[in-house]
Amino acid sequence: MASEDEEFTMLFQDFYPSLCRFLECLLGGRAPLAQDLAQESFLQLHRTAWGTIPVGEARFWLYRVARNMAINEFRKSHTRYRLFDRVVEVMSPRARNPEQEYETQERKTLVLEMLQTLPEDQRTALLLREQEQLSYREIGQVLNISESKVKVDIFRARASLRERWNKVSGLSRCAGLGN
Amino acid sequence: MNCSFTEKISLLIDGELPATEAREVERHLFTCAECQELRADFLNLRTHIAGFETSLQPAVQNRDLKKILGTERRAPARGLRWSFGTPAVAFAMLVIAAAIIGLVFYQSFNRSNRDSRETATARTTPSPVPSRSVEQSRQQEPEATPEPTREQQPSQNKNNDEAPRSKPSTPKRAPVREPKPGEQFASIPDPIRAADAQTLTAMHFEKSETLLLAFRNVRLNEPNSAIEVGYERKRAQQLVYQNMILRREADAAGDVQISSLLESLEPILIDIANLPERPNQDAVRVIRERVERKNIVPLLRVNSTALARALD
Repeated sequence: MASEDEEFTMLFQDFYPSLCRFLECLLGGRAPLAQDLAQESFLQLHRTAWGTIPVGEARFWLYRVARNMAINEFRKSHTRYRLFDRVVEVMSPRARNPEQEYETQERKTLVLEMLQTLPEDQRTALLLREQEQLSYREIGQVLNISESKVKVDIFRARASLRERWNKVSGLSRCAGLGN
Repeated sequence: MNCSFTEKISLLIDGELPATEAREVERHLFTCAECQELRADFLNLRTHIAGFETSLQPAVQNRDLKKILGTERRAPARGLRWSFGTPAVAFAMLVIAAAIIGLVFYQSFNRSNRDSRETATARTTPSPVPSRSVEQSRQQEPEATPEPTREQQPSQNKNNDEAPRSKPSTPKRAPVREPKPGEQFASIPDPIRAADAQTLTAMHFEKSETLLLAFRNVRLNEPNSAIEVGYERKRAQQLVYQNMILRREADAAGDVQISSLLESLEPILIDIANLPERPNQDAVRVIRERVERKNIVPLLRVNSTALARALD
């Protein structure tokens, strides 16, 4: 049992931040909600699936469960958490200096806004590829779709983002994100 | 994006192209300015997306870990999982299944042999008094085929200790002759056993129906509140093992209708048994929808009534 907990702790330390980031991008920056869902995903893994699935596949299991939870959230009210999230962002302690913080925040906002313009399946596939560096086969496994659909989704997502990026390039240059 | 290589640029930067094709695309990149620009833009996007930082604080992460490790794990989930855990377990289950199937075939083969012999004897010795010919044929039977009765004895004895007690309830065979030593267990426990199984199945259907109705009536109050399903979980845990046993018996008896109904019921019972103490609404709703979709409750009711009537 102790070794199982140790293994679980290692998995948690390795993937919890990644899962939070993935959910944050998927949910359009709602950090507290993303952390809640990430915690809930790990909680489900610990309570029900840990020990019944191979450790190597636990990561895919987590992304699949987390994504399903995020989809459920999309269906619920979009406005409920928005105000609360803003309050948390304003109140949370910051380690960086204000200028650096402003730049980081601007960059995050831009990336999130652009990601939100994509359809959910394309956004998820692209995030799993770019942030989590999963292969197409692994992405297909997580999302339960074929590799060819993954290929098409990722390409379309990139093409679409590129087009938008070029449109707002002037704005991004002002924010220090120029190509 | 007019160039035909654009989609391959995406695959190239992901390392998803076969080596030969990757070399071809790289060669193309030397000559095509559009594709060069595209690759640069895709890589630039990657930098921004991959460079996104989470707002998670390390203190929050540690707190969440403690919270998760502090929760109790659900033991039954391991026992009731669908997938085979290890090759050893899978092998053991296969051996058990093969043994059960073999036993069933062996018994049915012996029974059909005995029946055909009885019929053949009855045909070859026509008599104005039918009961006498049957009697004769039955009296001849043990001498002609002593082995099957002797071999059946341990298995019958093990499966049903009530065989000698229940013997008088089979009027067809009882008055024919006195069974020889060792033969008594081989004679007629099957209808009794079938009746027992039917009674158990009817009762099981009734209990399952009650459980599913109770589960359907669980109140989903607040949008985010947890739901109390302790009773339903406990009941499902009790019923799921019985369901497995009855399903196997129905399979062995070749009762396709009962077997398929039990088969539909089993995953639902397992899902309810595996619910957490206070599950969220979605988990409960998903199971309810499945119950509705499969139309299980009316089927249980119809079958339990039919079985009860057949027993009467």
